[in-house]
Amino acid sequence: MNASASSAQGPRRYVIIGNGVAGNQAAELLRERDPDSRITILTNSRLLFYNRYLLPQLFKGHQSWHAFLANPPEYYVQRRIEVRRDCRVVSVDTRNKQVKLAHNEPIGYDALLVATGGRSHLPEDLADCRSLFHHFGTYEAAVTTRKALPDNGTVVMLGGDMIGLDLARTLLAVSCRVILVTHETTFWPHKLTAEERADALAALEKMGIELIDGDARGGVTSVEAGAPGLPARRVVFRQGGDLYGDVVMPFYGLTPLVEFMVGTGTDIERGLLVNTTLRTSDPSIYAAGDVCQIWSEQDHAYRFYYGYKNVRAMGAVAAINMTGGHEHFATTQEETLGRDGQGHIDSPFWACE
Amino acid sequence: MRGDHVSPEKSDPSQDPFRQGTIHYSDDPRDAGWVRQNIPCQTACPAGTNVPAYIRAIAEGQHGQAYEINREANVLPGVLGRICSRPCESACRHGWAGNGDPVGICNLKRSAADMKDASHRITERLYAPTGKRVAVVGAGPAGVAAAYDLSLLGHDVTIFEREEKPGGMLRYGIPEFRLPRSMLEIELHNALRLGVQLRTGIAVGAGKGAMRVSTLLADFDAVLLATGCMAPVYLPLRGVPEGADLTQHCQDVEYGLGFLMDLHRGQNKRVGRRVAVVGAGFTALDCARVARRLGGQEVTIHLRTSEEYIPVTSEELFETKREGIRIKGLRTPVALRTDENGRLTGVEFVQNRLGGWRENGRRLAAPIEGSEFVEACDTLIIAIGQKTVNDFLDMRVEVDRSGNVRVAENGMTSVHGLFAAGDYVHGASTAIEAIGHARKIADKIDTWLVNRKRHRMVRMEPVAAPPREPAHDFIPRQHMPTIPLPERHQLTHEVECGYNRDLAGEEAKRCYLCDLRYQIDVNRCIYCRACIEVAPRNCIKLVCDVEVKPDGTHGPLQETKEWQKVAAIWIDNNECIRCGACFKVCPVHCISITRNHFVTVDG
Repeated sequence: MNASASSAQGPRRYVIIGNGVAGNQAAELLRERDPDSRITILTNSRLLFYNRYLLPQLFKGHQSWHAFLANPPEYYVQRRIEVRRDCRVVSVDTRNKQVKLAHNEPIGYDALLVATGGRSHLPEDLADCRSLFHHFGTYEAAVTTRKALPDNGTVVMLGGDMIGLDLARTLLAVSCRVILVTHETTFWPHKLTAEERADALAALEKMGIELIDGDARGGVTSVEAGAPGLPARRVVFRQGGDLYGDVVMPFYGLTPLVEFMVGTGTDIERGLLVNTTLRTSDPSIYAAGDVCQIWSEQDHAYRFYYGYKNVRAMGAVAAINMTGGHEHFATTQEETLGRDGQGHIDSPFWACE
Repeated sequence: MRGDHVSPEKSDPSQDPFRQGTIHYSDDPRDAGWVRQNIPCQTACPAGTNVPAYIRAIAEGQHGQAYEINREANVLPGVLGRICSRPCESACRHGWAGNGDPVGICNLKRSAADMKDASHRITERLYAPTGKRVAVVGAGPAGVAAAYDLSLLGHDVTIFEREEKPGGMLRYGIPEFRLPRSMLEIELHNALRLGVQLRTGIAVGAGKGAMRVSTLLADFDAVLLATGCMAPVYLPLRGVPEGADLTQHCQDVEYGLGFLMDLHRGQNKRVGRRVAVVGAGFTALDCARVARRLGGQEVTIHLRTSEEYIPVTSEELFETKREGIRIKGLRTPVALRTDENGRLTGVEFVQNRLGGWRENGRRLAAPIEGSEFVEACDTLIIAIGQKTVNDFLDMRVEVDRSGNVRVAENGMTSVHGLFAAGDYVHGASTAIEAIGHARKIADKIDTWLVNRKRHRMVRMEPVAAPPREPAHDFIPRQHMPTIPLPERHQLTHEVECGYNRDLAGEEAKRCYLCDLRYQIDVNRCIYCRACIEVAPRNCIKLVCDVEVKPDGTHGPLQETKEWQKVAAIWIDNNECIRCGACFKVCPVHCISITRNHFVTVDG
């Protein structure tokens, strides 16, 4: 396609960066609302849209990636949605309305949806140890982590956001040892009072998670490769002491994936700033999912909204507004950290359809 | 003129000066325009540092030579290699979309200073003494740079400095963990050793016991004011009279530069457990990092806009966060909260939205009515900028709306013989901007004093073969090693360790060497398209016209795909990454390479 050509005579070009819940929900609605349009999803993953909420299942035994796909390949063919896999977006030229890929290919758009989500946040003071962490955010990362974890092995979780605690449940079920080094991001994105937090921590212990009070030890200062004969990783605390694990995983919440938008003139604070119609400061660009901060009239602040229901709703709202609608996003996601029948924690952020 | 090279009458290779290996000097505006347009790092540097030349020297292991190339434009390379705001890296071609990360130019500058031989000899090109006397007021970066240049030009220079030691903002405004004083001392000494008299502890002003500017004007042939921008910009807060000094209202409030200056004058500074820093520049980051080292447990920098729009380098921002400092955006302080004893308990903020753009390219923030909230803190450091003060002058000098002194084209203020340079003219800027401006003013003072004129020419040196290998494109940016976090509790322990020889060599290889000019001799080109076939980018074009602007730079190339309209096959230097593939493949050797840079000549 001629990247810079105007589409005045041709079908409208929708480009979606990101292949998750928000992006796919938007693509589906865009096709419904604009049957003649060109829809392109750009993703750096080699897989089609898969259900990230099911990734803990990988630790219950080998499963082919096919089992995780949310839609079969035919789904995209039937809906004429082009999915460009394994390509990395490096910049967006808002003046010429082009998305630039790492291999210098420009992709023209009439309306752009940024739905790149977030990556596992790693505090800057642990950046030097980046290569020693194991991750869980993608299918590929989860497979790598599973391979590194021996049967009945020990997982050290730093932080302990709800993504990590979801994985912890599965790890305990397959007889792994889970050690959680607590941090202010434990239970993120839930916002708990001190009393609620203490209660929830007690529930984690009841589930079988071993707790280390990270603050009491001055926080984690480094992660090192374990010595011969010992587990593969050593976690060192600022105020002395250490602990060992086969894998060490950071679960400090998410950092929005917006690097390629920096310098485009589109408003960014931590995420892309959008109004309740999910439009950014650039009228041709929308954002949905964990990558955007939505203006809240109630809070007088830009807020992130997490959870499957929110993200899916954002994808829908963005698609409606990209096709001429005027829909406002309003959250319906339950945010209370609850308990199940066994007294274990149960989070609405773990739920997906 | 370079233009002759491609003209039909010079098409005979035996007559081509570049093929003959001779160095050529040009005052053709097109050649000057080419240098300005095609060496973005040098053009972006306020001091005009010849970046490709010194990086090439580092790649060849000639660190001393690299240091001297730096010193021609900036007399403090080891200092600037640590604290420069790096406008060159923002402009670096390697950082353009699709080209990767910019070259670590500043880190390389530092490596030139760090790795030159212990026995390295500084070279200076001195002019004969003129017998003229120049007084420089202020020994900051602008004053020192101007004094150095004026002394090279043969004038007798005396610097008057209020503080006990020279260096200005460099010594009193930048923490030692970013700029070791040993390096500052050495480079200041080298800058001032050519007979510059340094008189410290002498205040120039209108007060009792101070040296009057009018006295200096009477005693010297010229006076240069380089007093910088040292007065804090006050923060307007509810319940505080406009323009009031907040430090007089609450003992837990400090102004950023004052806080740092007190510390570096030797005062014992203290901060509370929770420290709020308001501001977005290097001073704000420095204050926060100092506060952390002074025992601040929860140090937070509050921004009006967001991280994307603050004028600091990403490395500084990263190291700041790494030291546990939080950065919170989209908020403006509106009031102080104090207890019954007048001690600070918190700051009230209002939530902002991002607004439009200022004339200087900075982002505006718009407060949202009714969105006030309070952040608890024990110490507030306000670092929202500095302004100039003129109350030290005992004569009337024209100033602009901002209170900055006006200077004419010849660098002179409205007072005969009184010149001004650096932040005192432009308002708060960066060390490299102050140095760059001071050098220009020093040149103008010289012209005014002895009617000596210099102008720039482009030196064009033939290069036999592409000096760069394509594999160098794939070398990632080399990160600056730093000391571990547990060792960062001291105020004097330098955080950045500097490149070693291997890192410096690898990083230097990344430079595209934008001073290399690849040109196709259209009279000898056989239009075989071989160069187009091997080009890694869309850098060789068939054009029907090339616009040359009045300043000698090129406008957009007018490309054509119709052969009958092709006037030339042209290397688009905006796209060219100096890989040399075209040069190597050309069957008729019609592509030449020259190395281009400005030289200053008398007359």
